[in-house]
Amino acid sequence: MTSADLISLLQGAGVTVALSLAGIVIGVPLGLGLAILLWRRIPLAQLIVKTYVSLIRATPLVTLGLLIYFALPAVGLQTGPVTAAILTLAINTTAFNCEIWRAGLTDFPKDQIESAQAFGMSWPHTFRRIMLPQVARTCLPALVNEMTLLLKGSPAIAVVGIVDVTRAAVRIGANTYEPLPPFLLATALYAAIVFVFVRAQRWLERSSRCDEV
Amino acid sequence: MIRDFSIVLENIDRLLVGLMNTVLLSATGLLLSLLIGVVFAAALMSHNRFVVRLTRVLVDTMRCIPFLLLAYLVYYALPSLGLNFNNWTSGLVAIVIYNAGYMAEILRGVWAQLPRESIDAGSAFGFYGRNLYLRIILPQVVLAAIPMIGNQSIQVIKDTAFLMIIAVPELTHAASSIQSKYYVPFAAFISAVALYWAMCSVIEAGVRRVERIAEVRR
Amino acid sequence: MTDAADAEGDGLPTLRVLGLTKTFGDNIVLDGVSLSVSKGKTVCVLGPSGSGKSTLLRCVNWLERPDQGAIFLGSTRVGFRNAGGGIPMSSRELARVRARMGMVFQHFNLWPHLTVLENIIEAPMHVLRRPREKAVHTAETLLKRVGLIEKRNDFPSRLSGGQKQRVGIARALAMEPEVLLFDEPTSALDPETVGEVIAVMRTLSAEGRTMLVVTHEMQFARETADEIVFIDRGRIVEKSAPQVFFARPQTERARQFLQRYSVR
Repeated sequence: MTSADLISLLQGAGVTVALSLAGIVIGVPLGLGLAILLWRRIPLAQLIVKTYVSLIRATPLVTLGLLIYFALPAVGLQTGPVTAAILTLAINTTAFNCEIWRAGLTDFPKDQIESAQAFGMSWPHTFRRIMLPQVARTCLPALVNEMTLLLKGSPAIAVVGIVDVTRAAVRIGANTYEPLPPFLLATALYAAIVFVFVRAQRWLERSSRCDEV
Repeated sequence: MIRDFSIVLENIDRLLVGLMNTVLLSATGLLLSLLIGVVFAAALMSHNRFVVRLTRVLVDTMRCIPFLLLAYLVYYALPSLGLNFNNWTSGLVAIVIYNAGYMAEILRGVWAQLPRESIDAGSAFGFYGRNLYLRIILPQVVLAAIPMIGNQSIQVIKDTAFLMIIAVPELTHAASSIQSKYYVPFAAFISAVALYWAMCSVIEAGVRRVERIAEVRR
Repeated sequence: MTDAADAEGDGLPTLRVLGLTKTFGDNIVLDGVSLSVSKGKTVCVLGPSGSGKSTLLRCVNWLERPDQGAIFLGSTRVGFRNAGGGIPMSSRELARVRARMGMVFQHFNLWPHLTVLENIIEAPMHVLRRPREKAVHTAETLLKRVGLIEKRNDFPSRLSGGQKQRVGIARALAMEPEVLLFDEPTSALDPETVGEVIAVMRTLSAEGRTMLVVTHEMQFARETADEIVFIDRGRIVEKSAPQVFFARPQTERARQFLQRYSVR
C-alpha cells in the first residue's frame, strides 16, 4: 500500500464522515419535528408519519439509495450522487430518530407538564425550557447509537456512485491484489470515528450534568 | 407508470426468487448466529474472568465493523489466508459473524435481568450445570429475548441487501436487474420496498404473537 | 406418603447443624448456631427480623456457604465429601444432597415459564430421573391434597400468593425429601391467604414429616412445633419445647420478643 493509497483511504473517510454528518444534522431535528407531530396527535400527520416511519424502518439503505438515485430523475428531479447519498441517509435516519424522540416524549413525566401549566406557562415555553432539555438528555444514548448505526450503514452509498472509505479500500485491494491491509485500515478508521462519537456523547452528558442543581 | 408496474409484474418470478433468497439467507444466518450467541452469552456469564474478557473483546469487535466491510473481508481478503468462499457463503458467514455479537449481548442482558428466585429454586431442587442452564435458565431467557431477537431479524433482512454489491441474487439485486433491463426504476424498487415491508410486518406480527405467549409465562 | 427413611436408620437425627458461623463483610450474621431435627419432628425457628434465620436455612442446603461449622443430612456432610470436611463436594454431589431436602421459599420461587403441573414434575423428572407417568401421578395426588388440582394447567402468573405457595409445597413434597425446609413461607402473603398455607403445613406436621420452619406465625409455632429455637442477632438464645417457651420464657430477650409479637 503506497502513500497515495493511504491518502485515498483518508479521503474516503472524509467523505464518509461528511455525508454521515449531513444525514445526522438533517435527521435529528427532523426526527424531533415528526415526533412532536405524533406526540401532539395531529390527525392527518399521524397517518402520514406512521406510514413513513414504518416503511423506511423496513427498507434497507441500499434499496432506498437505488430508489432515490434512479427513480427521482424519472420524475424529473435530477439528482447527482452526493445529493442522492445525503437524501438517502437523511430519510433513513429521520425515521429512526423519530421513534427515539417519540419514546422520549411519551415517557416524560406528566406531572412536570402539569405544574408548568399550573404556573401559566405556554406550550412552546414549556416545551423549550422544561421538556426539551430533559428529553434530549434521556434520548442522547439512543440518538448516538443511531448515529453509529448510520455510520455503519453508510457504505450503502457506494451504489449511488460515491467513493466512501469502504469503496476506496475495495479499489486499493483490487489494484494491489492485497486486500487485507486496506480493509483492516478501513476497519480501524470506522472504529476511530465511532470512538469519537461515543466520546462526544460522554462529553455532552458530563457538560449537561453541570446544569443540574 | 402503470405500464412500468405491469412490466415488473411480468417479471414477478425474478423478484420472488430474490425474495426467497433473502428469506433463506436471513433465516439461516439468524439461526446460526443465535446458536453462537447462546454460547457467547454463556461465556460472558461465566465465573472465569479470562473467558469473560476474551469473549467480550470478540463480541465488541464484531459489533464495530460495518456489515459490508465484513462481507468484503470474508469475500476478498480471506482467500489470501487460504479460505475461499463464494459470494453466497461469504454473505452468510458475514451475517453470522456480525449478528452473533448482537445476539450474545441481547441474551446476556436478558439473563442478567432474570430474577434470581427461579434460579435459586432450581439449585435448591438439585439442578446444576448444563441441566440448570437448559431447563431453567434458557427457556426464560429466550422467552424474554424474543422481542429483541425479532428486531434483530429485521436488521438481518436489511443487511442482506448490502450483499447485492457482491452480486448475491437477493431481492434488491433482482429489483436492480429488472430496472436496468427495462428502465423501470420507480416501479422496480417500490415493489422491492413493498416486499421488504411485508417481511417486516410478518416478523412484527410474529413477535406480537410470541409476546402474548410469553406474557403469561413471566 | 412418608419421608424417605433416615439414610442409614442408625438413630442419627435427620438434620444436624453444628456451630454454624457466617459473616457478610463485617457483619456476623450467624455465630455458632447449633440445632438438630429428629425424624418426624417439627422444629420452628423464631426471632426478630435480621436475626439470621433466613441465612441459617440457606446455609443448610448450601445456597449460602457458611464460614465455619458443619451441616449433616443423616450421615452425609453437606458441602464436603467426608464427615471431617476437607474436600468440597462436586456440583453433582451437592445437587444430589439438595435433592434430598425440600425447600419452600418465602417468595414461592416457582418457575414462571412452566404450568403448575410442570412445576411439580420438573425436578422429579429431570433431577431424580423418574418416568413421566409416575411423576405426573404423584403431582396430581399432591395437587389434590393441597386443593389445587383444577389449576394444574395454569401458569403461576395467574395464581394468588396463597395458591402459589401451596404449589410450592406440593413441588417440594414431590421430591419425597428427608426433610422439609420452610423459609418464612407466609411472610409474603396477604393475611387472608396465610390460613390456607398454614393449614397445609399443620397437616404435614401431623403426618410425621421432618420439618425445619423459619416463621413469624406464633400460633402455628405454639400449636405445631416439637421444639422452638429462638435466635437473636445470630445466636441461639433459647431452645425449648413450645409450652415452656411461650408460657415461661427463660431469657429477657425472649420475653421482650414475645411481648412484641404477643400470641393471640
